[in-house]
Amino acid sequence: MIVPLLHVLILAGILFVLGLVCVLVWRSNIIMMLIGIEVMLNAAMLAFVGGANRWGMADGQVFALMIMAMTSAEVSLALALVVYLHRRKRTVNTDEFSEMKG
Amino acid sequence: MKLYLALILLLPLLGGVVNAVIGRKLPRRLSETLACGVVGGAFVCALLAFSAYRAPVKVELCSWLAAFDFKAPISLYLDPLSLVMMLMITFVCGLIHLYSVAYMADDPDYARFFALLNLFVFAMLTLVLAENLPLLYLGWEGVGFCSYALIGFWYREEKNATAGRKAFIVTRVGDTAFGIAIVWMFQLFNTVSITELNGMGFLMPAGVITGLGLLLLVSAMGKSAQMPLMVWLPDAMAGPTPVSALIHAATMVTAGVYLLARMLPLVGGSVAALAVIALTGGVTAFYAATCALAQRDLKRILAYSTISQIGYMMLGVGAGAITAATFHLLIHAFFKALLFLGAGCIITAMHHEQDIFRMGGLRKSIPLTFWPFLAGALCLAGLPLTGGFFSKDAILMAVWLKGGPLYSGLYGLGLFTALLTAIYTFRMVYLVFGGGHSSEPLPTETPLHHQGGGSLRVPRLMEWILLPLALLGLFGGVLNLPAWLGEGWLGRFLVTQAGIKETGALHALELALQGVAAVIALLGVAIAHLRYGGARRRERLAAAETPPTGLTAFCLHGWYFDALYRFLFIRPFEALARILWERFDEGVIDDSLDRFAFVLGRTGQGLGSWTTGRVSAYILSFAAGAALILGYLAWVVL
Amino acid sequence: MEQTLFYILAVVAVIATGFAITEKHAVHAIVYLVTSFFALAAVFYLLGAPLVAVFEVIIYAGAIMVLFLFVIMMLDLGHPEKAGRPGSRDWWPALLLGGITLAAVISLFSNQQPTAPGKLPFVSIHDFGRTLFQNYGIAVEVISMQLLFALVGALYLGRRR
Repeated sequence: MIVPLLHVLILAGILFVLGLVCVLVWRSNIIMMLIGIEVMLNAAMLAFVGGANRWGMADGQVFALMIMAMTSAEVSLALALVVYLHRRKRTVNTDEFSEMKG
Repeated sequence: MKLYLALILLLPLLGGVVNAVIGRKLPRRLSETLACGVVGGAFVCALLAFSAYRAPVKVELCSWLAAFDFKAPISLYLDPLSLVMMLMITFVCGLIHLYSVAYMADDPDYARFFALLNLFVFAMLTLVLAENLPLLYLGWEGVGFCSYALIGFWYREEKNATAGRKAFIVTRVGDTAFGIAIVWMFQLFNTVSITELNGMGFLMPAGVITGLGLLLLVSAMGKSAQMPLMVWLPDAMAGPTPVSALIHAATMVTAGVYLLARMLPLVGGSVAALAVIALTGGVTAFYAATCALAQRDLKRILAYSTISQIGYMMLGVGAGAITAATFHLLIHAFFKALLFLGAGCIITAMHHEQDIFRMGGLRKSIPLTFWPFLAGALCLAGLPLTGGFFSKDAILMAVWLKGGPLYSGLYGLGLFTALLTAIYTFRMVYLVFGGGHSSEPLPTETPLHHQGGGSLRVPRLMEWILLPLALLGLFGGVLNLPAWLGEGWLGRFLVTQAGIKETGALHALELALQGVAAVIALLGVAIAHLRYGGARRRERLAAAETPPTGLTAFCLHGWYFDALYRFLFIRPFEALARILWERFDEGVIDDSLDRFAFVLGRTGQGLGSWTTGRVSAYILSFAAGAALILGYLAWVVL
Repeated sequence: MEQTLFYILAVVAVIATGFAITEKHAVHAIVYLVTSFFALAAVFYLLGAPLVAVFEVIIYAGAIMVLFLFVIMMLDLGHPEKAGRPGSRDWWPALLLGGITLAAVISLFSNQQPTAPGKLPFVSIHDFGRTLFQNYGIAVEVISMQLLFALVGALYLGRRR
């Protein structure tokens, strides 16, 4: 490995937390929340690839690929939902959608 | 013997319970007959027990309280003291039952009345015959309760209920002292049997015995209305007159004296305790005599007179003369019951007018009441050769013989009180019965005035009951004649009981003391005659119209003891109760609960606002939970 | 030399993500994110996963981010002055929780033995393909079905009534 696994993991951790912060800060805006989720998933992929590199096996990379496939599926569905919601209330502010209250 | 004693207790109890439970459904005559019959039966059994009596006997009926060392079976003790008390109680109570048949003839609550009277007799007999202190306490409390219920018999008027409550609460103070004494005695001697306790007096130091003696004195003060717990007895006259005669003249108020006489072998070892007892008795006698001088209500005069005479009995006990005290107790029972029943006749005749300044001329109107009443008054004043004379003189002689500065002072006080007694007694007689001559104007607003001077009616039964009591009072002196007339039977009889010593004295000294007492009594009658007899009576009546002032007012209101107690105890107690109620109970306890409930409600509301239905709140909560778990994990691992 | 490269790319990725987070204009944020993804792809290559790096660029930065842009343009969300901007009230809980999480995670990671930096192992495409289709063949099928579901779902959600 070119760098200790620890450093890779630290980088992955920082990216993950940045994604988490994005979700938490922009929790009123659906689009920005989805972007935060993308960042978090990326960080997970980085951790997997680092592990694959450490032990010299391809399994980690395979799983990174799986994550990527899952992300694409998820994004498409999520954005379809956003379009649908926008058609209902003409806004992407999550606070408007509180019919599940109580 | 066992049968007689058991029947003596069970018969009144049976009468009381039957009357209490189904008395209202029985016909009136049957209920009354039952009530009088059981007491008569008890008297017969008492006579049979007297005839079969040979030596002190202890009869155990059954077991009652038994736990570890503490044993209090229902066992009765018959010795001369309890025998004479038993005879007196059953006899006087029987007469009073017959009397109250006529007195309460118009009252619809007869079942309750007779039930309570019977229960009272049962409790009093239990008290007298008890062999151990818890059983005596049972009787003590029983008579206290019956007294409360009977004083407040006409409870629909608030004044009567208040009087009953006052009696109960004041005697409660004494009862508490008695309870403490019983427990202390058990802790010291490991027994509560009277016969055993009386033999153990020498075991403890004098200080302990004095303490026990003082506690018993306090309990006697409550029950027998001595200072400072005497405030209930004048107010207790709110009850029916037979009740006053029974409870507050003859039996219940003597229970305190009986207790002290019973426990004298134990507490007599302490000179200090005896001195305090004597002092209490002497001072109370003086206090009550001064108050009786100023009273207007007929029954209140007799109530204060009772307090005074019981003071004499206490004085006798304090001088160690049980014979004299018991003798005076018996004679007092007879003549005081006579006076109260006579007062009942007078009150009935006057249609429930009780103010003596509104009475007059009854000597001509109801002669059959007058002569026994006069006999009773002679006994009370202690005129020579009446029963009251011998008994009161025996006490004074015992006090004189005791010697020492305290007892000599008490002798003087007792003599002065005898003078006052004679004065107020004949004041009462002159005001109630005197006058009535055709030349004299009648007092305004009396039934005499309304009826135009016709004769007043008193039920025959009530008047006939007075006769036996008058005879016993007048000639009861034969029970214990002084030495120069013959040996005292009562003294000899009581001496057979352990612990009672006969006080012998020189014949000459006895004669001298009796002469002094006789002179005092006659002097008192003369003073009363000068002030209230004949023509001066009219002046007194006129003077009585103005409100009392100064010394008269002081004595009329019982030296303002009621006001003093109200100031010292009742007002702070009421203030404390109000504070505890308003500030603590409502302010702190209720309020804190209310506030607590309010806080809980708000907390619930606050927590409920978490469910906003908005994703943003939920995401934040999710992240916070995750951070918490990860932080905890890191904490644990490192 | 690869070490320095790694660190530089790491810094670039973090800074780009940081800008993406704090950007109020959605399109700008996505462009910054693409930058971050490029850096990350280079990191993947350095870690011996060239195929994953390529897929990252093609699929992630190329398809998914473009899809985001499509939706933003379609819904006309590109006007930052109309949208609500998060104030400091939204920032501090996020930063606090993020800080706690980061600290916990890093302390958990630090517990393991450090490995010596050495040669660059390279997983060949041949090995990758074999692992993928031999060991994880079923996963591939499942993934394809998942994509089918997503397609159907998106069609259904997006239809006009």
